[in-house]
Formats: sequence, C-alpha cells, structure tokens
Amino acid sequence: MALSLVISGLDAGYGAVKALRGVSLNVRGGETVALLGTNGNGKSTLMKCIAGLVRPQQGSISLDIDGTTHDLARLSAEDIVDLGVAMVPEGRRLFPRLTVLENLMLGAFRKAARRNIDENLKLAFATFPVLKERQSQLAGTMSGGQQQMLAIARALMSSPRLLLVDEPSVGLSPLLVSQTITKIGELNQKLGLTVLMAEQNFNQAIRIASRGYIIVHGEIVVAAKSVDELKGNDIVKRLYLGGAA
Amino acid sequence: MDLLLDAVVIGVLLGCFYGAVSIGLSVSFGLLDVPHVAHPAFLVLASYGVYIINEHYGIDPLVAGLLITPLFFVLGLVAYRLYYETFEKRGTDAGVRGIAFFFGVAFIIEVLIIMQFGVDQRSVTATYIGKSWRIADMRIPYRMLVAFAVAAALTIVLTLYLSRTFMGRAIRAVAQDQEALRLMGVNPIKVKQWAFGIATAVLGIAGALLIIVAPVEPTLDRAYIGRTFCVVVMAGLGSMSGTIVAAIILGVAESIVLTSFGASWAPAISFAMLLGVLAVRPQGLFGRRS
Ligand SMILES: Nc1ncnc2c1ncn2[C@@H]1O[C@H](COP(=O)(O)OP(=O)(O)OP(=O)(O)O)[C@@H](O)[C@H]1O
Ligand SMILES: [Mg+2]
Repeated sequence: MALSLVISGLDAGYGAVKALRGVSLNVRGGETVALLGTNGNGKSTLMKCIAGLVRPQQGSISLDIDGTTHDLARLSAEDIVDLGVAMVPEGRRLFPRLTVLENLMLGAFRKAARRNIDENLKLAFATFPVLKERQSQLAGTMSGGQQQMLAIARALMSSPRLLLVDEPSVGLSPLLVSQTITKIGELNQKLGLTVLMAEQNFNQAIRIASRGYIIVHGEIVVAAKSVDELKGNDIVKRLYLGGAA
Repeated sequence: MDLLLDAVVIGVLLGCFYGAVSIGLSVSFGLLDVPHVAHPAFLVLASYGVYIINEHYGIDPLVAGLLITPLFFVLGLVAYRLYYETFEKRGTDAGVRGIAFFFGVAFIIEVLIIMQFGVDQRSVTATYIGKSWRIADMRIPYRMLVAFAVAAALTIVLTLYLSRTFMGRAIRAVAQDQEALRLMGVNPIKVKQWAFGIATAVLGIAGALLIIVAPVEPTLDRAYIGRTFCVVVMAGLGSMSGTIVAAIILGVAESIVLTSFGASWAPAISFAMLLGVLAVRPQGLFGRRS
C-alpha cells in the first residue's frame, strides 16, 4: 500500500491570529516523523489542518493513496477519517462519562470502520490488554497513562493508515511517557502504520522517529533527513539540548 | 394514613406521567444543552394532533400519538436547524438568545392553536379513559396506569437506543466533547439535529398521554415549563433513568401537597424544587457535571 502525505505552503490561523506560515512537510508511507516545537508554535494547528478540524487559508495537503491524490484541505473531517487518517489528540480528549468500550466503539463510527469492528477491537485489546480488563469502566475514572492508551486505541478503531499523534507525553510521568512512545513505535513497526507525531519531548520523540521537523512561530525552521542531522542542528541544540541561548 | 398512601400511589403514577413528558427534554436540554423552553408547547401541539386524529377517525389516542411521531421527528429536525443557523452557530451568548427564540416559538404555537381550535378544552375518547381500577380501598384511574406503562416503555427504549446504537453513543458523546467527536468522523451538528428530532418525536407519544390524562387547552404548556425543567435539572442533565426517578419525586411531592394543602399550591412545587435543586445540588441527583 503506497501512501504519502505532502503538505506545501500551508497558511492557517484563528481570526487575526496567524498560527502557520508557509508550512511544507512530507511523510512517506511507513515512516515515523516527528514534528518538534515548544508551546504555542503551531504543532496542534498543523495536526488539526490535516485532520480537517481547521481549514487552512492557503496551501495544500495532499494525501496520496495507491496513486490517487486527495487534497485534505478541501475535504471534511468525515471524509478524511474515511481515507484512513486518524488522530490521537492532545490532552487525549476521551468521552469521560462513557465507558472504555463505548469510547472504542465511537472510534469505529464510520460505516467502513464498522465492518472491521471485531478485528479492530481485538487488535486494540491485544495492544493494550488493560483496556480489555477495564472495558466497562468510565473513561474519565482511569489513570492518565490508561487514558492515553485508550485514546490511541480509539484511533486504531477506524482502521487508519496514517496516525497523527499530538503530544502523547503531555501530563504523563517519565516512565509512562517512555512506555507510550514505545507503543507508538510498535504500531509503526508491527502494523506498518505511518505516523506523524507532534512532541515537545525531543529525546523521547527521536527514539522512534526516523527524521523530524522543527516548527517555530508557525514556520518550519528545520527539516532534517535523519535523527543525527537533527541532533547536530544548532537550533535543536539551542532549544532542546541545553545549549546557550 | 390511608390518605397519605393514596397520595403516594397517585403521586408515583403522576410522576411517571411527568417522566414521559419530560424525557424528550432530558435529551434536548439535558444532553444537547439546547434551552428548549418550547418543549411543553410542542407537547401541547402533539396533544392537539392526537385530538384531531381521535376526533375524526376514532383512532385510539396512543396509536394516534405513534402516528404523529414521524411528523414530530421532522418538526424537530427543522426546529434544530433553524435554531442552529440563527443562534447556536454564532457562539457564546447563544444560550440567552436561544431562550428568546424558543419562547417565541412557544408563543407562535399557542397562537396558532388558539386560531385553529379556540380556547376551549379538548379531550379524547378511549376505553380506558374514565374508568378506574379498585384495589383495596383505592381507586386508580386506568389512564394513569397507561401513563405509567408508556413512561416505562419510553425510558427503556431511549436508554437502550442511547447505549446500544452508534448514533445513541454519539448523542451522549456530543454533550461531552464535540471536537473529539469530529475526529471520529462524526459531524456533531448532524448528531445534535438527529437527537433533537428524536427528542421531539417522543413528544408525539407524550402528547397523547397529556390529553389522555386530562383535557388540554392552548396555554397548558405554561404549566409544564416548570415541571419539565424541574425534572430534567433534578435528574442531573442527561440521565434517562434519573429523569423517571426525579419525575416520581416531583409527582409524589405534588400529590402530597395537593391532598394536604389544596390544588392551588401544586403548580408552585416544581419551581420550588427546581430552585432547591439548583441551590443545593446543581449537578442534579444523578448529575453529569462533576
Ligand atoms: N482555538 C484557537 N483560537 C485562537 N488562537 C488559537 C487557537 N488555538 C491555538 N491558537 C493559537 O495558535 C498558535 C498555535 O497554537 P497551537 O495549539 O497550534 O500550538 P502548539 O504547538 O500545539 O502548542 P502546545 O505545545 O501548547 O500544544 C498559538 O499562538 C495559539 O495561541
Ligand atoms: Mg498543541
């Protein structure tokens, strides 16, 4: 299955606030790409543009699947889910007063997803066994780590090819961050999922990413072809590796 | 003592009836946050629809109620669209202006009913209206038993719908996080519109109960604003079984006050309880807001 995401010249914002300026970025099938940036630099906005939650003002988001190109900038969030794009949002955004199982079932709302619901449920439970044990518990009563697992599992329920993960480390203890990142790496390795992950935690992100971008004030300032190139970059050293400001 | 027992039994049945007329509101206001003060006006409108069918074709009022549910479903879809396009879409102060919108709708419905039917009371005929069931020393009107059974059925059907179907789960989720729902490929506006349609469709049957329990008049909706909102808020917005429990509490309270202090106090009960709940336990008995 050939897949690629090519974003070019993307501008987006909220009213007078410009959040993205001329963003260009690409992800090839099977890759795990990191989108790095500190608070308020536009990571979530970019993710939301891809998922169809925020309409870009300019530019294109082309998703190429088996030789057919779709411009996500013109499609609704519903259509984008049908194309196989799923997002694990920042802050998890579960439905707290629904059970674990009900949250998972909502992940399979789309007609196409309902056909694979049994397989996907099995996959979700196999990936995160604790969810199976707690399937009738209210999502809001689970621990932060379990909630993050549920958020990822819920995204898997729509049979995605491209998984967008927005800051999975937020609000988790270092150990859980590490476990969560490892799981995302496994999804990429074992299921062949293509992953674009926004993170602030540089060292964790590069454990599973093969390359990455740095976004500052809505602009891509570094596009590195490898993790080593990222580590060697001056901006990265200044922002993440404790170099002098 | 016997008098009290009487009051409680009648109160429970009355409460079930209140539950049936409130349960739609516990979807539209409880789950969707739409300040639907025209809910009782729609209810009365449904009663008149049932009245027409019963009067002209002699069809049983409950069957008539079922017959008009598709019509009311569509009415709900249209009403929500109108509300969404003119108010909700524009954002933050939608709540207050929404109340004005629905008061307007309620007023228009009242006027239309008066123009068509005048201000006289209307009632329906059915075999179970006017007869009573004697048990021990009590006389329980059959129509109240019908209300009881229908309320139970409505609650069960709605609860199953909301918990077992994809759309039902989406309806409960839309109250919790609309943006997250969009990520699941669900359009929250369509979900809300559908849910509002269902909440209104239920009024077809509730309207039948209203006119089965007692004759209706065009302004009867005013007596039910306090009651329905009291029940839904007391239930804790959005809980179906909670709605029935809260309705029974209101029914019993009204019934006891009625037998001990007289009928003129009964309408004040719901407002007093509504204020009491808001002051003491604003999240309701089975509250969703924590
Ligand atoms: N709904 C909104 N309305 C107005 N401005 C917004 C909105 N969401 C984000 N912004 C602004 O857009 C800019 C980019 O925000 P964004 O959430 O994309 O950043 P981020 O990199 O994801 O930050 P964080 O690490 O805190 O999640 C910020 O200046 C933010 O204040
Ligand atoms: Mg963010």
